[in-house]
Amino acid sequence: MDTSKDYQINLDVFQGPLDLLLFLIRKKKIDIQDIPIATITREYLDYLEKKERINLEREAEFLLMASLLIYIKSQMLLPREKALEEEEDPRQVLVNRLLEYQKIKAACALLREREKKEIPKWKRIALPPYAIDEDLELTEVSLFSLAEVFFLLMKRKEQEDIKIIKGKEYTLEQKMKEILAILEENSFLDFMDYFESRETIGEALVAFFCLLELIKAKIVIAVQDKLFHTIKVWLRRERKK
Amino acid sequence: MIPKPKDIVESLIFISTEPLTLEKIQEVLTEFSKEEIESAMAELLTFYSSKEGGIQIEKTAGGYMFSTKPDCDPWIRRLLHANRKNKLSPAALETLSTIAYHQPITLAEICSFRGVDASYSLKTLLQKKLVKIVGRKKSPGKPLIYRTSKRFLTYFGLDSLNDLPSQEEISKLLEEEQDEGYQESSS
Repeated sequence: MDTSKDYQINLDVFQGPLDLLLFLIRKKKIDIQDIPIATITREYLDYLEKKERINLEREAEFLLMASLLIYIKSQMLLPREKALEEEEDPRQVLVNRLLEYQKIKAACALLREREKKEIPKWKRIALPPYAIDEDLELTEVSLFSLAEVFFLLMKRKEQEDIKIIKGKEYTLEQKMKEILAILEENSFLDFMDYFESRETIGEALVAFFCLLELIKAKIVIAVQDKLFHTIKVWLRRERKK
Repeated sequence: MIPKPKDIVESLIFISTEPLTLEKIQEVLTEFSKEEIESAMAELLTFYSSKEGGIQIEKTAGGYMFSTKPDCDPWIRRLLHANRKNKLSPAALETLSTIAYHQPITLAEICSFRGVDASYSLKTLLQKKLVKIVGRKKSPGKPLIYRTSKRFLTYFGLDSLNDLPSQEEISKLLEEEQDEGYQESSS
């Protein structure tokens, strides 16, 4: 009874080698605890052979399973001095994996039902906009949000079609001093404003690296009063001059 | 005059963007005792379950939340210009269910359970905030450890991880599938 020929060979429908194996076991009405390893290996290899080409990147795992099956088969064929005890069955590792995988698959089906029930329900996920508090609650921002704002600004800058006449060299040291001078004078620096007023992407880049360096050295601190608001850079108070 | 505790509780749930816990309500509603708040909540729940309408209160991820009734979905989507919400892909769901039942878990362990590389679907799940990183394992390579998040519970309408489909439910489903398999091949 070879039913596998009725199927179009498409490994994509399987979530992996365990999925395919489970499918074959079910189809052959095989007891997972007692897999006829020769039969199932043959079936499994038939499946792979029917494919004209194996896409190594996506189907390497199927080949790995094939080699495991062949390995187990060879282990079972080898003559041994003593009869195999039950826990020494070379199939046991595979059986355990299959049993565990089978449970995960079943759980998937049950979770899918729940998902189907939940999808048409809508929940509030954000507050409507409301007035800003007088006293700001400052939260320190991560470097990632800082970088995110930076790239946003750079994108804007790219769109402004500016013709650069002459190049100017900027050094980290020079820029760092410049930033510190602004901070000493104004106590803080508005991240958005500052970068928007830079002349070129080159200058902004150097300034951004300076800022990262200063934050890393714990000389300045970057804070954001609210999500999506501008980021402000302050001198750390405890800094010794 | 202070409104009834039931009404205050209702307004607090209404304005919350994530499941509101009883503890949180107690923190805010200091004028009433714990027992009073609990009975107000019970009253509110019976009120909503007995009345018709477009919204309901749900207990999820240890708290309470308003949600729209499923039947209203088409019109909400019209209003929001939204498509039907996407289901998780089979690979993502498989990875998620592996994490849910075996957490805390590392990527290598997920891959070995599934027999395939799960790094892409794990990335998707992290982006959707259905799973979170909780630390690193003290083993060679210090791999990251993953757990399901609060949003995971809300996504599937679960109150806690104890509400995940149980081993009994899973075994029952497997038996059914086995029977179906026999029928198919015998016919």
